[in-house]
Amino acid sequence: MGKLSFIARRLVKGVFVLLAIVILNFLLIRLAPGDPAQVMAGEAGAADQEFIQQLQEKFGLNQPLHEQLFIYLKGVLTLDLGWSYRQDEAVATLIFERLPATLLLTGTAFCFALTFGVLLGALAAARVGRWTDSLITVLALVCYATPLFWVALMSILLFSVYLGWLPGFGMFSVGAGYTGLEFVLDVLRHLILPALTLGLFYMAVYTRMTRASMLEVMEMDYVKTARAKGLAPGRITRMHVLRNALLPVITLAGIQAGQMVGGAVLTETVFAWPGIGRLMFDALLQRDYNLLLGVFLVSSAVVVLFNLVTDLVYTFVDPRIEVS
Amino acid sequence: MQKNLEFWKRFCRNKGAVVGLLIIVAVILMAIFAPLLYPDSPWKLVQRPFIPPMELDGYWFGTDTLGRDIGAGLVHGARVSLLVGLTSTVVALLIGVTLGAFAGYYGGLVDDGVMRFTELFQTVPNFALAIVLVAIMQPSVESVILAIGIVSWPPVARLVRGEFLSLRSREFVQASMVLGQSNARIILTQILPNTLSPVIVMTSLMVATAILLESALSFLGLGDPDVMSWGYMIGAARTVLRQAWWMSFFPGVMILLTVLALNLVGEGLNDAMNPRLARKSR
Amino acid sequence: MAFNRSLKAAAFASVATLAFVAGPALAEEPKQGGTANVVIQPEPPSLNLGMVQNAPTQMVAGNIFESLLKYDTNLDPVPNLATEWEVNEDGTVYTFHLKEGVKWHDGEDFTAEDVIFSMDEMLRETNPRLRVNLDHVEKMEALDDYTVRFTLKQPFGPFLGLFEVGTVPMWPAHIYQGTNYQETADDNDPIGTGPFKFEEWDRGSYIHLVANEDYHVEGQPYLDEIYWHVIPDAASRAVAYENGEVDVLPGGSIENFDVPRLAEMDNTCMTTKGWEYFAPLAWMWLNNREGPLADKRVRQAIMYAIDNEFAQEVVWNNQGRVATGPVNSVTRFYTDDVTDYSYNPDKAEELLDEAGYDGEEISLLPLPYGETWQRWAEAVQQNLEEVGINVDMEATDVGGWNQRLNEWDFDMAFTYLYQYGDPALGVTRNYISSNIEKGSPWNNVAGYENERVDELAEQGAVAFPDEKRAEIYKEMQQILVEDVPVAWLLELEFPTIYRCDVKNLVTTAIGVNDGFGDAWLDR
Repeated sequence: MGKLSFIARRLVKGVFVLLAIVILNFLLIRLAPGDPAQVMAGEAGAADQEFIQQLQEKFGLNQPLHEQLFIYLKGVLTLDLGWSYRQDEAVATLIFERLPATLLLTGTAFCFALTFGVLLGALAAARVGRWTDSLITVLALVCYATPLFWVALMSILLFSVYLGWLPGFGMFSVGAGYTGLEFVLDVLRHLILPALTLGLFYMAVYTRMTRASMLEVMEMDYVKTARAKGLAPGRITRMHVLRNALLPVITLAGIQAGQMVGGAVLTETVFAWPGIGRLMFDALLQRDYNLLLGVFLVSSAVVVLFNLVTDLVYTFVDPRIEVS
Repeated sequence: MQKNLEFWKRFCRNKGAVVGLLIIVAVILMAIFAPLLYPDSPWKLVQRPFIPPMELDGYWFGTDTLGRDIGAGLVHGARVSLLVGLTSTVVALLIGVTLGAFAGYYGGLVDDGVMRFTELFQTVPNFALAIVLVAIMQPSVESVILAIGIVSWPPVARLVRGEFLSLRSREFVQASMVLGQSNARIILTQILPNTLSPVIVMTSLMVATAILLESALSFLGLGDPDVMSWGYMIGAARTVLRQAWWMSFFPGVMILLTVLALNLVGEGLNDAMNPRLARKSR
Repeated sequence: MAFNRSLKAAAFASVATLAFVAGPALAEEPKQGGTANVVIQPEPPSLNLGMVQNAPTQMVAGNIFESLLKYDTNLDPVPNLATEWEVNEDGTVYTFHLKEGVKWHDGEDFTAEDVIFSMDEMLRETNPRLRVNLDHVEKMEALDDYTVRFTLKQPFGPFLGLFEVGTVPMWPAHIYQGTNYQETADDNDPIGTGPFKFEEWDRGSYIHLVANEDYHVEGQPYLDEIYWHVIPDAASRAVAYENGEVDVLPGGSIENFDVPRLAEMDNTCMTTKGWEYFAPLAWMWLNNREGPLADKRVRQAIMYAIDNEFAQEVVWNNQGRVATGPVNSVTRFYTDDVTDYSYNPDKAEELLDEAGYDGEEISLLPLPYGETWQRWAEAVQQNLEEVGINVDMEATDVGGWNQRLNEWDFDMAFTYLYQYGDPALGVTRNYISSNIEKGSPWNNVAGYENERVDELAEQGAVAFPDEKRAEIYKEMQQILVEDVPVAWLLELEFPTIYRCDVKNLVTTAIGVNDGFGDAWLDR
């Protein structure tokens, strides 16, 4: 019963967080110089005051700010994310067309990063001070220190251009007409480079975190006690060290699952991956308010969800934290 | 004094940390003496474009698309990369540690309030938020620092809060509470020191992230256009990666070395502050 | 009609290794079938060419929609939806005879009613650039189903140059007339008369067009289908071409530094043709209103200080030509008989001294269109600082750039504009004082005022015949170049790179924008 009401309360809170985000972003974005009417008038190659006003009226930009906000919020509450004027399409349609691609990319990258991060981190901690540890540490450092887009371009150069093993852009071979399993394999082939590129950085983060955290826990008194009691080292690692050491890693992972959407901006741009990261960046530069707000809202909702899950997992892993 | 000496002794026992420190010092010296090493502006068009490294005397690192000296860019770039990395981290730490400590220690409504606030910032993808902030404030060194600082503090807050939450229910803290020590005293003397090592590890990572974030912003065309930074250099080299590998290679190496060094130093500090752990791992 | 035009041999870039194809190879018999894979950048917001006029929309939708005329690479009009046309003696009445048997993609007949609806009703409202030009038209009437007559208030020299598909696309009256087409056109299901029909749009990935079986030109189109691939990163676009995933890179799709490398590939051709109608000219807006730039000598100094040859060779990788003034040399009525501002830093310093320039900071706003433009701004900044001008480079994005130009919040700002083949359509708009108005980055943003220029611009548009216009525009160019209202930089060229077995791709003055009807694959 306690867990259920906990979840319900977190959900309500989550909704309020989202609402606050919408309002904050709404105001923030409008502080930026330029508006969509000016951009679109500019793109038309000809613009005058009349044309801009015509567009501003069409977009409702001539109304007072609080009224625009009110209209927008009213829409959001009825799950209407508005119309993207620049793309001439409903925001929700645009986002949900692109969301699966981003979820596939970030999901794969996340699983890859978390699995290998924790494994490598645990391995390094278990072999602390030995060459395995040094190797993993150096590897993590290098992955961590290399700019994402640079890795992306280098991997395209190597695997796509020189070796010709993997496709360098897009999500599937256009016009190839693959169906069924063939299509799935085709998407997977396209997925490898972007997912690895995006995942490497986060893998490094998790590796370092897991290692540091495990070393910390290994020194805790209860571990020493367990050791003194003569429990098998493997059992100690599994039962005590890993379980406790994963706490900060989980905290971080929950946060980063959402942040990856931001990191996906770069990956999606370089690999021409048709996801919402790219959609967001274009919307930003073109001041496509509704679309930008919509992307923020949806990706924020995903993060709220992840945070909720994190909190839940947290309570399971560390019983000392009360659910109240 | 004695304590400091002990600290240094322990720090120096970690060879990686010493190497890291040397690299950092070298980079800082490079940044300070940039005008002496390369008196000309790094933007100056000095030679023909696309000279590969080691081909022409005086241009050991080659030239870029416009015939600017990559060497000058590397040396001058050290300044802004370090400045942005360090300053924005300080900004992020100030916000993050304060909020995280309050939330984790007091719990309840304070925790709720702070965490909701943190979640606001955290729930919006931070790279996108950084771009929006820079776009609103117009790209410049200051706006980049501020934007990176503003988007970087939530992990610190959450980490510190998580540690506080976990440490608060520990016996030694409970004991202090029972003994009637003031909250400020407990936070500063009992809990905060115990959270330092993960924060320190995180700080070193944050400086690195800040440098990487700055380069990512430049990559997307949102850096300060008047200042030569490593991030900018990689961004500018991106389109000519095949023709001129050296343009992105060298600044990349500089970032790699600096970030690596920061991490090594961070670990050294960690060892020096956690003597038990340090002895164990050597 | 002998236009005063000079096509310089120098138009063809000097990189010896590049392969150029000169015009259509008429001897060959076109083959039927095949798919063309083309890059489109950025993704167009819509394919409703009547509602949206930005460049990517024009490039894709120009193959779905058509206008009354097409233009060859000499800018001479050729028949399309209009088979013949007549002009009366004093140049005020134009009569067009429409092709019979032309069908819209939904099977309806194309008639004069569509022409009147498109031009008199719809485009007047949706296309601000056309709106200004249609002010010269007193009335449009359909004499019968296949004859349209335009009566002008006075002669308007460039009138015959208006009927390009991006400017005056024909819209189906039977669908849109009487509806609120601002709303009805929101769907992305464009119905045109062109050689290709809209099939599918997977946003973020590709736009798929298929051949129009009932196209009104016998045998055309030869291709079965076209895929326009959306690839947002320039390096990825180059890779896509190298991997063989795309066959055509329209002008400007890849970074200049990649052009020579791709052009050297097997089975690869390159042409700089197909941009004559647009004739893009790049310059730097100089804010004439206040500060040091209000002084003509400072502006002249800037012209002398900028090394445009360097920019052409290094920044643009030998593409384009150094601009001599406000009119692109491929545009009608160009003259090179103007003040020569070849690179001369000494002269620039002299002029600055004379003007008493005291080192006041002058800001520079680059064009946020990618790396090339950023590099260019950096090079110009160095040129200017070398002669002692204190330049502060500012950064901006598309939204910010538009706003700052709209609000005149700049000192110097990079830009480039299309000229649409005629000074009255694409040149004078940037220099006449009646066009000084906030809210547009494309009017007289510099705030330059000169009564004589105003007069000449007005006369030039309505003078008849062309010899008279040439004379007027020559004087106008001479005054402008002397006054330096803006700092002209380069006449831009955007080479189209394509597989050599894609034949007849670029045959008109707007290149791939309407080129796929003629194109065929030799495979």
